[in-house]
Amino acid sequence: MLLLQLLINGVQVGALYALIAVGFSLIFGSTKVFHFAHGATFTIAAYIFYYLYSVSEAHWILAVLAATAGAVAFGVFMDRCIYAPIQRHEGSFFTVFVASLGAGIIVQNLVGMIFGRGFVSVTTPLSRSIELLPGLYVAPLSGIAILCAIVFFGALQIFLMRTNVGMGLRALSENPELVRVYGLSPRRLSTIVFALGSLLVIPAAIITAASSGLNPAIAHHIMLISLAATIVGGVGSLRGAACAGLLLGMSENLALMYLGPQWSEAVTFIVLFLFILFRPSGFFGRAIAS
Amino acid sequence: MLAYIINLVTLISINAVLAITLNFIMGYAGIFSMAHAVFFGVGAYTAAYFALNVSASFFLAVPVAMLAAAVLSLVLALPALRVRGEYFVAASLGLQVLGVTIFSEWKGFTGGLGGLIGIPPVEFFGYGLSSNTQYMVLALACLLLVVLVTTVLLRSSFGRNLKAIRDSESAAHAFGKNVATIKTLSVAISAALTAVAGALYAFYLGFINVESFMLDTSVLLMAMVIIGGTGTLLGPIVGAMLLMLLPSLFSYMWFLPATEIGSIQQIAYGAAMILLMIYRPGGLVGASKKQVAK
Amino acid sequence: MTGPDNQVLLRISNLQKNFGGLKVTNDVSLDMRAGIVTTLVGPNGAGKTTLFNLITGHLVPTGGDILWNGKSIVGQPHWKIARQGIARTFQDLRLFDQMTVLENVLSVMEPVSWLWQPGGRAGRRAREEKATHILERTRLIDKAHIRAIDLSYAERKFLSMARIMATDARMWLLDEPASGLDRGSYELFLELLRSEVRNGVTVCIIEHNLDIVVGISDRIAFLDQGRLLADGDPQTVLKDPHLAAIYFGEQAA
Repeated sequence: MLLLQLLINGVQVGALYALIAVGFSLIFGSTKVFHFAHGATFTIAAYIFYYLYSVSEAHWILAVLAATAGAVAFGVFMDRCIYAPIQRHEGSFFTVFVASLGAGIIVQNLVGMIFGRGFVSVTTPLSRSIELLPGLYVAPLSGIAILCAIVFFGALQIFLMRTNVGMGLRALSENPELVRVYGLSPRRLSTIVFALGSLLVIPAAIITAASSGLNPAIAHHIMLISLAATIVGGVGSLRGAACAGLLLGMSENLALMYLGPQWSEAVTFIVLFLFILFRPSGFFGRAIAS
Repeated sequence: MLAYIINLVTLISINAVLAITLNFIMGYAGIFSMAHAVFFGVGAYTAAYFALNVSASFFLAVPVAMLAAAVLSLVLALPALRVRGEYFVAASLGLQVLGVTIFSEWKGFTGGLGGLIGIPPVEFFGYGLSSNTQYMVLALACLLLVVLVTTVLLRSSFGRNLKAIRDSESAAHAFGKNVATIKTLSVAISAALTAVAGALYAFYLGFINVESFMLDTSVLLMAMVIIGGTGTLLGPIVGAMLLMLLPSLFSYMWFLPATEIGSIQQIAYGAAMILLMIYRPGGLVGASKKQVAK
Repeated sequence: MTGPDNQVLLRISNLQKNFGGLKVTNDVSLDMRAGIVTTLVGPNGAGKTTLFNLITGHLVPTGGDILWNGKSIVGQPHWKIARQGIARTFQDLRLFDQMTVLENVLSVMEPVSWLWQPGGRAGRRAREEKATHILERTRLIDKAHIRAIDLSYAERKFLSMARIMATDARMWLLDEPASGLDRGSYELFLELLRSEVRNGVTVCIIEHNLDIVVGISDRIAFLDQGRLLADGDPQTVLKDPHLAAIYFGEQAA
């Protein structure tokens, strides 16, 4: 029974991680931008939701919409106002990454100044566990998390496979020039990618706010998961990032149980480190060209 | 006031050494390490442990710390040889997190979360340094030494090897350079010199704990190198001075809440990083880049 | 220029390179003899640069063998092969952009990875003299302390040549060394190349410019879609109508 409990916990966490990771992988795979500020997107969305729902006592739909708007606006802002000018000049990986890092630092500290550095969370009856079976406790929130993941992935698949924009997006990662053949501009597509990738953090941001709670430094953890899942899953493979996110959620939970909280993050990184050493292309990714 | 300045100069010197050694691999070999604080910690813990258990002699504790860091740097060199850019940053991030976890858990060596206290003053031929002024002089001397060593190395053929790898690794290969050996050597040298700063830090403060060696520190060091200017000799020193002086600067601004100075400092250098990357990626000291004629 | 009695320096036998199902190098066999200038021609995508990458160890062949001075070099790392006397230039130059012209040339004379080069001070002086001499021959001496990234296009092409001249390589693989040069510059380039060949360097050039192809080649190898279609003296190969159709058909399109 304990194992089943761990499994369900792991799947819930893993489902959210998968969403976040896919958001990052989508952006990184399509635009080649090392969007280190993806964690900041999560922070912004989560805190907006927290503020409106818990502090201002607004209706949850309003809070969700505001969080979504905030996340997408931030993502698009980073793309248009920060990454684009840099890439116009001489955008090497280094300059883009450093700017992203800087943005992340600013967001983390602003949030810390406004909301304080301690843990905050949203209280909702949905986070209270129900005993489904003897010894098995599941909160409705877990179910919502998994449902969200499935719905969002499904929608993403349809979007990428069936729509013109979606196909253009897939072309963007292979060959930006090819994109023009579709009659689209890489610039516009890039913005769409950032909007979409940022959108994907919303379920995770809101659910995390309601379950484990938030603090300004959470962006680090989010970023590390996104990175690990993207690389382990394979750059350029959304499926890989999703699977890896799921796997990492589960392994983190297992480590939490058996090794203690201090090692759970380290385990994720040991896995990442080993992959980088021995199989940098990840599970499903294309081979790395030197 | 004087005591304040002496303290500041000592800390700036230590941080300048850290920035210089990070710049050595970042600005010259193109290895973007986010784990620099870990080697700072290795140097500090090793020197402290050695001083507490064997000898506080400068000429023993410091070389031992340097050796430990150089050997451990192989863990960083391994991914540096396999992957570049984003992948390496991810690996070094992982190393940083892992390093902090080990520092926090290995109570026997690092004292765990509590850290090590009562580190004896560093000794030169039996004479222990006691006053802050003496430590400041020592720190400045070490800074000078590190500057000398890195300058000589960078102006030599080894420096050209590093720059060749940074500018075009494939061309470096094509002209017979064993890139793996060069990278490993540069990482080891950087780690060894970083450990000097770590040892200094441990002796100066008399106590150390894991708080000084976390991701925030690695990021701060990276900011120093970037803002000062990568790939230049003066850049990291300028960056270290600037970023260490920021908190003092901000505390003079009466309209800023004192409790938030730390955050404001971070926001300041976060913003500086963004602006520099857009308008002057070479940093304050670096040359402004020109487009290659294709 | 001498005939087929020259010693074979590089022997490529049945070389194969597949990327998945794509055969980018398909059963290529070629001999390069000492002192002979071979030009690789063929339409874009024929696999010419790939062949260079295979020879220098940048790519590992799927099949076949490459013998340098009689010994197989397949599987050796790129830098080891370079130290055995095979040097190359790149189509996109890959200069050490942030270093000065002089540093670019000095750097290739310093392959040792350790902290210092053997030979001490005398060795260093000798290298500096050699570097200066090379810069004079490539008309770059006035720009010795300018960063490579700040040079003009033609100057960058010549720096690429200066770099390879600074190695002690017996064999040069030049990838489109003269493309984009104006008439005056490539006259100089041709002269430079001829004098190096007279000094005993064996050269293999990838080139599209027919003037150069005719002006310097002792032999032409025609590649198309990974296969070696022809290999012989310039007059014969260039007069073949079948080859011309492939080559010029591509050009005209």
